Amino acid sequence: MVGLNKNILRSILIASYIMIVALIISGVSALFSYLNTGADRSTMLHTEIQKVEQYLPKIDWEPLQNEGRSMDNQTLNALQSNYLDAWYVKQIAYKTNKPAGIKDYYTDSARENLYRFIELNKAEDITIEATTLKHNPTLEFFSEDGQMTVITDRNVIEYKRVFKAEKVILETTETSNYKMVFLLEDGFWRIRHLVKEQAETYDAKTEPISVDNLNIKGINYYPQANPWNMFGDEFSADTISKDFKIIKDAGLNSVRLFVQYEDFGKEHVNPKKLEKLKETLDLAEAHNLKVVLTLFDFYGDYSVMSWTLNQRHAETIVEAVKDHSALLAWDIKNEPNLDFESRQKAVVIAWLDNMIDLVKSVDSIHPVTIGWSNTQSASILKDKVDFISFHYYEDLEHLDDAIKTMKTEIPNKPLVLQEFGISSYSGFWKPLGSSDEDQANYHKKIQEQIAANNLQFMSWTLYDFTDVPTDVVGSRPWRRNTQKHFGFIDKNGAKKASFKYISN
Amino acid sequence: MPLKRTYLFLLGLILLSSFAVIQQNETVNKIELLTTQTDFKVGTNIVLKFSISEVEQPLLYCSNSYGSTVISSTLKNNTLEYFIPENITKKIGVVNWKLLAKNESISGVFNINPKAEVATLETYIGPPSIEAGGTDYTMLVVIPTDSLDNPVPTNTLVKTKHQFLASEETNDIYTKNLISWRNMYSKKESGRMLVSSESIGINSKEFTVNVMPAIPTDFKISASRPHDYADGNQITTFTTSILKDKQNNVISDGTFVTFFITNSEGNILKTTGTTIDGVATSKMIHPDYEDTWNIKAYVDGMAESDNISLNYKQVIEDFDVTFSDQNRTIIVGPLQSFMQQMIPDGLHVKLKIYQNEKLINTITKTSFNGYVNFKLKPAIYNNGTYNFSIETAGLSKEFKSKELW
Repeated sequence: MVGLNKNILRSILIASYIMIVALIISGVSALFSYLNTGADRSTMLHTEIQKVEQYLPKIDWEPLQNEGRSMDNQTLNALQSNYLDAWYVKQIAYKTNKPAGIKDYYTDSARENLYRFIELNKAEDITIEATTLKHNPTLEFFSEDGQMTVITDRNVIEYKRVFKAEKVILETTETSNYKMVFLLEDGFWRIRHLVKEQAETYDAKTEPISVDNLNIKGINYYPQANPWNMFGDEFSADTISKDFKIIKDAGLNSVRLFVQYEDFGKEHVNPKKLEKLKETLDLAEAHNLKVVLTLFDFYGDYSVMSWTLNQRHAETIVEAVKDHSALLAWDIKNEPNLDFESRQKAVVIAWLDNMIDLVKSVDSIHPVTIGWSNTQSASILKDKVDFISFHYYEDLEHLDDAIKTMKTEIPNKPLVLQEFGISSYSGFWKPLGSSDEDQANYHKKIQEQIAANNLQFMSWTLYDFTDVPTDVVGSRPWRRNTQKHFGFIDKNGAKKASFKYISN
Repeated sequence: MPLKRTYLFLLGLILLSSFAVIQQNETVNKIELLTTQTDFKVGTNIVLKFSISEVEQPLLYCSNSYGSTVISSTLKNNTLEYFIPENITKKIGVVNWKLLAKNESISGVFNINPKAEVATLETYIGPPSIEAGGTDYTMLVVIPTDSLDNPVPTNTLVKTKHQFLASEETNDIYTKNLISWRNMYSKKESGRMLVSSESIGINSKEFTVNVMPAIPTDFKISASRPHDYADGNQITTFTTSILKDKQNNVISDGTFVTFFITNSEGNILKTTGTTIDGVATSKMIHPDYEDTWNIKAYVDGMAESDNISLNYKQVIEDFDVTFSDQNRTIIVGPLQSFMQQMIPDGLHVKLKIYQNEKLINTITKTSFNGYVNFKLKPAIYNNGTYNFSIETAGLSKEFKSKELW
């Protein structure tokens, strides 16, 4: 008994000794690393100040035919950059009711006018979130000494959301003509006079695009090895080509692909990624498949100040592939209704609305849709989209009713069941999950329903995945593992029982 | 039967009229804009009046050139009155508004027009100096603004005035694109141009534009010197003629002139000067041996002078050399100038020392009181046989096999 006690005592002593040493070492190392922190010394030199693009509305200069001195490109670029910054600081000022930045882009007397508005709006608890989507400036005059310019900016499209006491009271899009005088002061082109010469409410008239020939029997596609990172370093044309062949041979006619916003380079789209996207479309064309391209995947900032950046992204991509014959339709955003709660429904819808206008302004041929995650949201913006896409992962018993409701709400547009499927995962994390057989039955049943309701469809998905990024369904293992088993083909390449029902 | 029809007809009519009444009631409920005026003078009070429908007092959104705001109404005699805030009424341009009523929103625009008055003439002129000759010009930009800092209406008359030498001119220009502007060309003469402008009784302050002479045309040079001897002491002064541009204006002070002197060996000496009142001068010390200089002056890239030539006569015909102190002291002199006077201090004398046909050292000294002494130290120049050559004023003398001991 005594011996045992002594041993316990000894081990406690040794353990506490080790603990104390460990604590001291960690303390000293923390102090040491703290002393080593600080800015990189090279930053003291300010060798490089990178311009951050914050505001990129579409800007089209009219041909230069100005009075006075002839304009050079460098000055015009500086003028344009300062002009857009003037808009940007104004938007920020009216959003926050703070005058920061105003004095850089408005002269002494012009800035007073803005300050008065800020004062008034602050007193009345009014804030305005606004952005401009399009500018068509004409250079009217450039002075001989290069210190003054006059610009007329016609048909400026301004989107505004007006808040009073933090509640939206107005959402409006206006188109206006502005005339302004700029002075070059301290190296900044500053606005001296600003006169709005015309203003009216803007209504983007987008033509509906015919979808009579739309007959989608498709599948959502990611390669087995690199799902959600299709256009990354592991991009393999061979794999995609093989997969497209499987899809075509299974009797399907289309695939849904995803373009990730950040991966593609945000407002400055990476040309290498675009190349890969085009290559993929070429492969689809080679296998006689059509492609529904989903934009803005993994992107969730709908704030008004980012609109111009988002639109430049979409514009570049749409412009690059709009003439590709494999392209079938544009899917503006995947499941945006999931962001309604965190980003406000009205904000998300306004973003979608304007994005549809933008995509249609660049591509007037291909239909546009939005991939709603449920049937309830499907009627949002029903007049703007050319066909309705919705996802269905709920109980199949309720599908017929949901479709009936949608068909009464949206009688005149085709419905596409754009995502559906069931995971065949059943294991440690989900003991009561479905089996391969259940999955096959599910697809058999839903294909019957699709046929009965005359729906078009795109199933989820071709492959079981070995790895699912945490961005997709979070990091919880029961969700990640479930997501890995939605495929018609398992991770070893063998067709699962459900493959039989991949099409109707 | 006809009676029945008449009854039916009447009944129908009554039914129809009741509908009509209902419709009328609906229209009464609408909010309507009462203010018919859509053009206002800047700075006046603006009130938008609406007929009232219900209890609702909707907000009014309005937006002008600089910003947007939302205003609330006051109720007066069953009309809603919206007082447009001063920061909007004081700036010209279009104001668009929208009534934020619950059911239907009506919207519209009104114009705030500029006043035909001028309070300040914002004047910009540049470039501030131009070239004479009638091709170069400066640009005058005038932005007339009213007392509320608004640009004045298009086609407002602005008078530009300028005075130059004897001429005084007034020209009429009109505002367009918020500004008015005019190019002012130089005349043949250089000088100062005074510029001002006037609009609706208000005069600007005075602005000055320098009309600078144009680039110089080719010119002549001359040289003056106390004597023509190559004594290495006196100074020759080069002077340009008065440099003028092609309009005969004396070029600007400070124009840089470079004189290139080429001597008979083809070496180039350079001296420079800047002009004052069109004349540049520059100096060069005389050579110390007989020489001929060819001189030409340039204003780099613009103009050049004619060529002049100067001869310098030899002053020292001959000189004596005495060896003493075991040949280790060499005295050169007396060195005498053109009137047999001792040459002024500072004449270069060069001693070259050879041993075994090899140059081992060159010593250069300047004269003092007409003589130059060379002392050859035993520590450096060992005892032995040396050859010497002495050069000065373009002359050379050789002494062979001198023994140092």
